[in-house]
Amino acid sequence: MTMNRRSFLATSAAATAAIGTPMILRAQPKEYVLGASLPLTGPFATAGQLVAPAFAMATKLFNDEGGVAGVPIRFVTEDSGYVPQNALNNYQRALASEGKNMIGYFADSTGAMKLIAPELKGENARIMGSTSFASELANPETHPYQYLSGPTYQSQFDILLQNIKNEGGQKVAFIFSNTEFGRDPIEHGRKTAEELGLEVVLEESTKAEGADIPTHVTKLAQSGADHCILQGYVTGVWPQLIGGARQFGLPVKFKGTFWGMEKLIADRITAEAGPFLAGYEGVMPYRYFYDREDAPRYQQYAELSKQMFAGTPLENYMSTWAIQTMCGLEIAMKAFRDTAEAGLELTPDNIAEKLSGISNWDSGGFFGGPVSMENNAIGTGRVYGYNPEDGLFTPKSDWFTV
Amino acid sequence: MINANLKSSYAADERVLNNRYKQAFVYGSILALVLFTLFGNDYLILIASQMGILLIAVVGINILTGYTGLVSLGHGAFVAIGAYAVTIFGNLGAGVIPAGLMPFVSVPLAVALAAAVGVLVGLPSLRVKGLYLAVATLAANFIVIFLIEEDLFAPWTGGMVGLNTNVPNLLGWELDTKREMFGLIAVVGLVSLLAAQNLIRTRVGRAFIAIRDRDYSAEILGISLLRYKLMSFALSAAYCGLAGALFAYFYARILPEQFELALSLNLVAALIIGGMGRTMGPVFGVIIVVMVPELIKVLFGALAGDSAGAGQLRAPLQQIAFGVLLVLFLLKEPLGINQIIDRILRAANRWPFARG
Repeated sequence: MTMNRRSFLATSAAATAAIGTPMILRAQPKEYVLGASLPLTGPFATAGQLVAPAFAMATKLFNDEGGVAGVPIRFVTEDSGYVPQNALNNYQRALASEGKNMIGYFADSTGAMKLIAPELKGENARIMGSTSFASELANPETHPYQYLSGPTYQSQFDILLQNIKNEGGQKVAFIFSNTEFGRDPIEHGRKTAEELGLEVVLEESTKAEGADIPTHVTKLAQSGADHCILQGYVTGVWPQLIGGARQFGLPVKFKGTFWGMEKLIADRITAEAGPFLAGYEGVMPYRYFYDREDAPRYQQYAELSKQMFAGTPLENYMSTWAIQTMCGLEIAMKAFRDTAEAGLELTPDNIAEKLSGISNWDSGGFFGGPVSMENNAIGTGRVYGYNPEDGLFTPKSDWFTV
Repeated sequence: MINANLKSSYAADERVLNNRYKQAFVYGSILALVLFTLFGNDYLILIASQMGILLIAVVGINILTGYTGLVSLGHGAFVAIGAYAVTIFGNLGAGVIPAGLMPFVSVPLAVALAAAVGVLVGLPSLRVKGLYLAVATLAANFIVIFLIEEDLFAPWTGGMVGLNTNVPNLLGWELDTKREMFGLIAVVGLVSLLAAQNLIRTRVGRAFIAIRDRDYSAEILGISLLRYKLMSFALSAAYCGLAGALFAYFYARILPEQFELALSLNLVAALIIGGMGRTMGPVFGVIIVVMVPELIKVLFGALAGDSAGAGQLRAPLQQIAFGVLLVLFLLKEPLGINQIIDRILRAANRWPFARG
């Protein structure tokens, strides 16, 4: 065969492709970096300090499993003081110092997610999870790179309202903090209640901290509600509201959403003020850490916790907040690994596509069964009730998918 | 060594940059800024932009507090007004005014609105002084944030969830990268600083200083307290409004919580640390307020590593370190960094003959 110009070009192109392919593989970085902002100081320092150890555990767990296609991962965490501006600065700092090796980021508030969202363009885009369940973020069209590691607050309200309907409730009150977090599902909740034939008899906004409890309780009493949903609180106000209502002799049944469902807080309140949280229920997207018989992933966490956090309270119990963070990281890792396995480069767009396409995912026990990403959120959860005697939240309903 | 600045005319004495050192410093700074804009790394550009925006607001506070002697703890409100107004005007005018001309309309409008509100907030200054005035101005911050968050205005302000901002377009040049924005911020910051330096050698500036030194003496001298105090409030609010407008252009989204009391306190803290009533005071103050926490972060990061475990320990320590540093600065030099720099320059100037 004589070699003419055309066949020479074709052969050299083929040779370049053959030699060049391993070059692409070799161009992988030594490590992938995941940045995170946590409220290690400030009003939510309690939550931040409880969540921080999860990152140490995640590093060990994911790297022992081979990282992302054999490349280890490293977390870079910074304090935000729960100030969105600081989280944005942390994000920009991580971008500038880690460059393309940083493939994901974890933010610590809805505010931070919203502030960073418009910055996620072109070179500056990264996959981003957070502690937030804000409904606005669950929209791949406007927020293609951001995802929720559970149901939106609106979906959580849907689950609660459906549960109230099933229990034969008729009149519902919404009490919420006067923050974005508190207001998020209120309008949607009003519509859902109407559709379900429930009457919303009170919509009361309170301060996020130091609310005027007697006034709010009086209004609740006047409204004649049989159920009351509390939204937008973390450590304070919601227990005082329930305590105030019980002192007042109100038989209202209280319900909460994710951030009002932490066992550590409920236990502390019970220890300090008595068992008035008896009967308190709320929606929780995940299993509690002690409910790990059918949750192999939780069992792995438990083993690691015993090794890594021996002698601390974290040895035996992982807060729901830390579970949420771990779930967020697991989702991100799944998307990274899926992208790498598909032979694609770990670009934000490729990862985002894999992430929004997660379907029938066996999370290892976080949720009731296999789950799928819909609108970059996982719309599942179940109602749990608190029992002050054993200090446990136990399931009061089956898993709902909304 | 300089022993004196020889000036052979009043005009030479009255120049904004009245000696060669100042001229060399300003021209040198301009050159440094140009080089930095072109070659600085992304992270440094980000930090420098934040400093630039804060600087313009602190220059405003300096006019009010440093030169006129009126304390305000509510100037975060004017930054908010500037930021929201420039975005709202931008949104309302979209389609009516060509995009390339928009900043030339919306920024002056936002600045004017901030100044007008500044006059309103300044009214109590005619009756109360010192701490009492500080408390009276505090209300401005709360009222403005409250109004921004109100449902009534939410269609324009976005309420609690905030507002996406517009990309500035200067005659067709879209400043959609942080580097381009830094260029704009640097130019506006430099001009603001020079304008403030110029202000204090005018009749208005001298009136401000007279009011600061003793207000009733100033009135006896024929200075209208009403006019000049309100003018000082308006000017300082305008500077803060300008800073707010740049803030909105710089960040892709604004949230009400970015303009709360912490911002107002930060502005005053930067001024006190830098040196009140001195042109360069705000510059030094802003450098300390923005850079020191970053340096502490880098330093602690290098010492303790950047894992979450280390972060857990160093986050509170960083805050304590910053607090202690501020207290030390104030104890060591209550007149601010500017005074320390003055002393160093004086010593360098006289070296090797005398110190201090």
